[in-house]
Amino acid sequence: MKFSTPRDAILRPLQLVSGVVEKRQTLPILSNVLLELNQDGLKVTATDLEMEVIARSEVDQSMPGKITVPVRKLQDTCKTLPDDAILNFELKENKAVIKSGKTRFTLTTMPAEEFPVIDTKKSVFEFQIQQNSLKRLIEKTQFAMAIQDVRYYLNGLLVEAENNKLRAVATDGHRLALCDVSADIQTSEKVQVIIPRKGILELSRLLEDNDEPVNVVIGENYFRVVFKNVIFTTKLIDGKYPNYEGVIPTGGDKVMYADRNILRQCLIRTSILSNEKYRGIRLDISNNTLIAKANNPEQEEAEDEVTVSYDNDALAIGFNVNYLTDAISAVDTEQVRVIFSDSNGSALVKPFEDEDCLYVVMPMRL
Amino acid sequence: MDIRKIIHVDMDCFYAAIEIRDNPQLETKPVAVGGAADRRGVLCTCNYEARKFGIHSAMATAYAMRLCPDLIVLPVNMQKYKSVSQQIQAMFFDYTDLVEPLSLDEAFLDVSTSMHCNGSASLIARELRQRIHSDLGLSASAGISVNKFLAKLASDWKKPNGQFVIRPEEIEEFMLGLPVKKIFGVGKATASKLAEFNIETCADLQAKPYAWLNEHFGRFGHQLYFLSRGQDEREVSTSYQRKSLSVENTFMQDIDDESELQSVLIRLHQELLRRMHGLSPGLKGSIKTVFVKIKYADFQQSSTQHSARDATLTVFQLLLRKKRKQDARAVRLLGIGVQFSTDDAEAFVQQEMDFNLEL
Repeated sequence: MKFSTPRDAILRPLQLVSGVVEKRQTLPILSNVLLELNQDGLKVTATDLEMEVIARSEVDQSMPGKITVPVRKLQDTCKTLPDDAILNFELKENKAVIKSGKTRFTLTTMPAEEFPVIDTKKSVFEFQIQQNSLKRLIEKTQFAMAIQDVRYYLNGLLVEAENNKLRAVATDGHRLALCDVSADIQTSEKVQVIIPRKGILELSRLLEDNDEPVNVVIGENYFRVVFKNVIFTTKLIDGKYPNYEGVIPTGGDKVMYADRNILRQCLIRTSILSNEKYRGIRLDISNNTLIAKANNPEQEEAEDEVTVSYDNDALAIGFNVNYLTDAISAVDTEQVRVIFSDSNGSALVKPFEDEDCLYVVMPMRL
Repeated sequence: MDIRKIIHVDMDCFYAAIEIRDNPQLETKPVAVGGAADRRGVLCTCNYEARKFGIHSAMATAYAMRLCPDLIVLPVNMQKYKSVSQQIQAMFFDYTDLVEPLSLDEAFLDVSTSMHCNGSASLIARELRQRIHSDLGLSASAGISVNKFLAKLASDWKKPNGQFVIRPEEIEEFMLGLPVKKIFGVGKATASKLAEFNIETCADLQAKPYAWLNEHFGRFGHQLYFLSRGQDEREVSTSYQRKSLSVENTFMQDIDDESELQSVLIRLHQELLRRMHGLSPGLKGSIKTVFVKIKYADFQQSSTQHSARDATLTVFQLLLRKKRKQDARAVRLLGIGVQFSTDDAEAFVQQEMDFNLEL
């Protein structure tokens, strides 16, 4: 196996895949990347057994072959070479020899045959979607995923495909985020999969903000996104997602409109003096005025007032300020709409008039 | 701050002493109260006669019987002990309103402002112990000092049926020679960690800077720093606040069958809900975490918890499954419970979504 390439043509794919590799490994080969060279170019693969990223690159090949090498060392080597360096890679007696100018590195290898690949035979269905739509879907929801919750099915993102619509839902039991985007999907029945948290974070790193299409493949036990030069695959969480529709409030009649940025700033300011652990704040809303109050165990107090549009019955309600700020930050209209029912009911946060995303935040009892 | 006067009253082998009082023939015999050996019970307490054989509370009854075949093990009569405990507590209130019961047989009294016995804490303790003896036929030990930590240490000093004072001017010398394992919260694990650093006594501990203790023992390091100097600012808190509620079951035979464990879990959960029903609404609403506890056949114990506001069966089921995935050994004891939030600063209680979870 032998090839020669400008530095960036190998550094770029390494940077795309190396996020998958866990820092600490029980299985040594998982610290390596798989390099495969054939007439189509160089294919670089990294995996953590749950998720796999493959990146392709054009290189000048002179002898095909495949091998695995330690990803961090290879990446650091490439990264520290000069920008315009030409790199020569050669496999010699089970060592990977990298030469560039007066630099010569010899890395250990492990056989390509031992590199684990995710089994992706059974495809359920496929569709195309714009990268930025998929990116939006994730960005608008991923913050509400649970982290290491014993309800393991919450430690991921629910993705639901139905006719012409792709939906994502995340919840940790305290708040919920939901976003819909349109997509060219034809399916006789709704398809639901739960994508693990780590996969979602990695995928959102790979997605770019342009309208180039990607191909999404939903398999029986995997979820795959095919880019022009990258293939992302993750296993699914095997579990039943809770009935999220049941916790989206429908009966709320107390509607408040507020300037998103002003409200956000008010919450962030007030939160400085909320209890650092529990993050409780109190909102008093009446007569087009919202007063946010917080205090902490040191008996310090914050009070902040903003003008809003609200002419319903006076309402006093408590929230974890982080949850509320997350939801309001995720709305991208200038005005935000918040719908309450009463002090004990959840708040529904929505864009000014669009219905494509919504956030449910459970209150804190005062 | 003015110097406080704290008394720690500790009844001598309380449950056993009550049983012996009610049945004087037992007086010279080794007696214990607890669960029966053939039901894999554990001893709650035993008298000094039994302690000569190396028997102590929390010991498996079957094991205690091996140490002392003549041991008389009486069943637990909690109702009786409770009513005696109430009689004793009523006496405490004759001297001060600041009474903090720790359990049925132990309490802290803050008598700093008490006018009884010319304001002498030692005399109050003596009088209390005499009254407990003459009115109830039971013996108590007492420790007197300037804070809870020292008072509790002192009550242990002249046990049984004695009392001991640690005066402010004696604290320094007293602490220097005190082994670290006498500090509240220093169990086997901490003691051995301390031993690694050649720390055996409080004098050794005092030699360590605050930052060092904090680095090696986290928040507990803070406590170690002050307790090793005999300093303890904790107030005698009069309103007892329940911190947790749990139910558990020791099996007649170890269980390793998952479905059997799950059905035990369902019964335990029903029992937990029944017990919670009796609690105040405020307390019920302040659940902070739920937990599952497992003791294996080799007595090794392990627990796992999850923050939750509700004691739903689902969460316990998931916790048990998680635990079993990690370790599928046969189980001797299964327990579940809830911990309540005791943080006063937490005026806000996060509400949970109700997914109507089904498994």
